[in-house]
Amino acid sequence: QDIVETIWQNYVDKTPQRVKLLDTFMAFLIVVGVLQFVYCVIGGNFPFNAFLSGFSATVGQFVLTASLRMQTNPENKADFRSISHERAFADFVFGSLILHFFCVNFI
Amino acid sequence: MRSLLLGLLLGLCSLVSALSAVGNKLLVIQEDESEKDNYSQFFKDLEARGFQISHRTPKDSSLSLFLHGVPAYSHLLLFPPKSKGLGPELTANVLVDFINQGSNVLLALSSDKSIPSAVSSLLLELDISLSPDRGSLVVDHFNYDTKSASDKHEVLLLPSPDSSRQDVKSYFGVQGLIAFPHSVGQVLGNASPFLASVLKAPATSYIYNPKDDSGDALEDPFATGTQINLVSAFQARNSARFTVFGSAEALQDTWFTASVQLPNGKSEKTSNQEFAKKVTGWTFKEQGVLKAGAIRHWLDEGAQKSTTDLTVLDVNPSIYRIKNDVHYSVELSEWQADHWAPFTPPAADNVQLEVSMLSPFHRLNLVPKQHTANATLYTSDFKLPDQHGIFNFYVEYRRPFLTNVEEKVTVTVRHFAHDEWPRSFAISGAWPWIGGIWVTIAGWVAFVALWLWCKPVEEKKVAGKR
Repeated sequence: QDIVETIWQNYVDKTPQRVKLLDTFMAFLIVVGVLQFVYCVIGGNFPFNAFLSGFSATVGQFVLTASLRMQTNPENKADFRSISHERAFADFVFGSLILHFFCVNFI
Repeated sequence: MRSLLLGLLLGLCSLVSALSAVGNKLLVIQEDESEKDNYSQFFKDLEARGFQISHRTPKDSSLSLFLHGVPAYSHLLLFPPKSKGLGPELTANVLVDFINQGSNVLLALSSDKSIPSAVSSLLLELDISLSPDRGSLVVDHFNYDTKSASDKHEVLLLPSPDSSRQDVKSYFGVQGLIAFPHSVGQVLGNASPFLASVLKAPATSYIYNPKDDSGDALEDPFATGTQINLVSAFQARNSARFTVFGSAEALQDTWFTASVQLPNGKSEKTSNQEFAKKVTGWTFKEQGVLKAGAIRHWLDEGAQKSTTDLTVLDVNPSIYRIKNDVHYSVELSEWQADHWAPFTPPAADNVQLEVSMLSPFHRLNLVPKQHTANATLYTSDFKLPDQHGIFNFYVEYRRPFLTNVEEKVTVTVRHFAHDEWPRSFAISGAWPWIGGIWVTIAGWVAFVALWLWCKPVEEKKVAGKR
């Protein structure tokens, strides 16, 4: 109980605001994805391609956000010296647009 | 002069009162020339209905049923010969060929004359059995004519035949009694779907050979009661008709005008003439002849939905798609005396359309939509099944005493094209996923806005720190 509280307090204090923003977005994506999956389990996956595209939209977006987080986290500066934050963000936007295009078509 | 011409014209018009639907050349085979006079009224009746009668004897050298491979006559009337055979031109094979090429035959039998083996084997081909005893006739001790056969009881008096089935129209009903002297009884087999009984013997009759003196003749009769048919009708698959008339004598002039009396009845005139007219009317295709006219089918969807204007419709296309709505129509006529008239099936019956590929997917009742002068238009609206392939629209109407109607139209039914599938927003099951995607995109747009908005703040912070 205490350990969880300590971890949570550490997280709130130490992480920069931007990373927290990323984390909230990722949490939101997880919620949406879980909702879709629960609906699939209950209501069946009749238009299967629709289920796939809806679910993979959330999952893909989550992956892209995770990579953006990795690339912009100040603690990882050493690993990503050649990639500026802007570059990471541009990659993120580009990848997200491709993902959205694919999902809207596939549905 | 003018009245004479008018009279002649009127006379000509009245001659042609009931024509056969297929043709009016009738060949009569009679061995004995003198016998012709006995049937003069019968032949006069036939000629009055427009038949061109040619009389021949079986051994006549000019007799030929076929001319250049095609039947020379539309109808054949066979009277029982005195000699053993019917001659080389009337063998069983020739008669079967004659029927297979569409001509009709009326065979009259008599117990006084022997039945040639060619005839009885021909009848066996049709699944009609005759008693093997030569000279056997049908006897009835309760329905005989007291005036002419009070001791031998061989002249049967029969009530008018009526069809017991609700869905079969009666073509042979007459008023009064029919006299059948010296009749040959036939037994119909169960195997043939083409046989129908026109006139059955009463329940108290049996087949008996008067020449048989031994007492055990009655212990094992060939047939009894309503098993015995006196007039049997056979209609082949090509609708050619073969009637076996059990008593040739019933067609004679004497019996057309005789007065008869049942054992417990009063004296009355026979209805033989009327009955002969009905039986020849059916056999020679004046009655019970159907025809299927124009068949039309079209796609009842989209721009063509609910139109009946033939000029704008694409009628009888060869390809449809699965689950298309199709409208099908066929015109049916029945021959009435000298013209085609609209056909109505009996009240309990339906003409049906089968939509089938190997086996029927739909079997639908055709609805009579409208009557034209010559036909009834039967229509059906249906949805093609969810199966692609080659389908037949098949109307098959086979009923006793009616010619067969078989009309088959073959169409291709294709599957959905790649752009004919329903779009995902039209499928209600996909809405949660569509919602999920757009929620994700909306969240992403909000995140990008937030990220870009808070960037300056961070830079300033960093700048501030420096």
